[in-house]
Amino acid sequence: MPVTYEELTVGYEFPPASYELNASLVAKYLGAVDSAGDDSVPPLAVAARALAALAEWLHLPAGTIHASQDFEFFKLVPVGATVHCQAKVGRKLTRGSMRMLVLELSVADSSGQKVQSGKATIILPA
Amino acid sequence: MIEDIHQGQILPPVVKHITQEKINLYAEASGDFNPIHIDESFAVQTPLGGTIAHGMLILAYVSDMMARAFGASWNSGGKLSVRFKAPARPGDTVTVAGKVESVEDEEGTSCARCSLECRNQQGEAIVVGEARVRLE
Repeated sequence: MPVTYEELTVGYEFPPASYELNASLVAKYLGAVDSAGDDSVPPLAVAARALAALAEWLHLPAGTIHASQDFEFFKLVPVGATVHCQAKVGRKLTRGSMRMLVLELSVADSSGQKVQSGKATIILPA
Repeated sequence: MIEDIHQGQILPPVVKHITQEKINLYAEASGDFNPIHIDESFAVQTPLGGTIAHGMLILAYVSDMMARAFGASWNSGGKLSVRFKAPARPGDTVTVAGKVESVEDEEGTSCARCSLECRNQQGEAIVVGEARVRLE
């Protein structure tokens, strides 16, 4: 059951998610970003899927926008790899009608090695 | 070549034209179907006044530029920190530009610090930020 902004607290950990970065998904991604690929999954494709996995557990109202983003890339994963994503609320700020969330994400491969980490700041509509 | 990276170097820019079709494709590929990106009738009623590209789509272009310049060093040792300053809209042409601001030693490894920006065809900044890459 997705949680709402009101239900979140700083430090809240979302249920971990695993997802396969299969050839079909990567091909679709490469077509969308107009890029040539190789045997590895582009780091931003991994990140996009991590955010999508997170969105399954977080109810974001229509009109939510991305304000800033940090990433650190540790290693590439091959097409077909399954990765595991963990996410938590790093910060929550309500100021007037503005509602902001900082979400911290970490992605690891099937051996537990860190693939990438990131921090997304999103602003929810009033 | 990565050993030729030096302070002041301008990274080869990446230029992309944004279309609603590309935004829709990105929504499908990423699973992000926020109507602000894909539903014009919804988006036109918001303060943004119309659909906008996913921020992560623009970051894919940024990462593409960095990967072309730094290869594996970017994909397995890059750091990116950006702010979204303005939306990219269907019809925009986005130019991603970067410059090596410094090459410094970090714990025994050379590290390039790059400034980054994406601007639309009117010169308006869409994304600004910086990246760090270990040169190894």
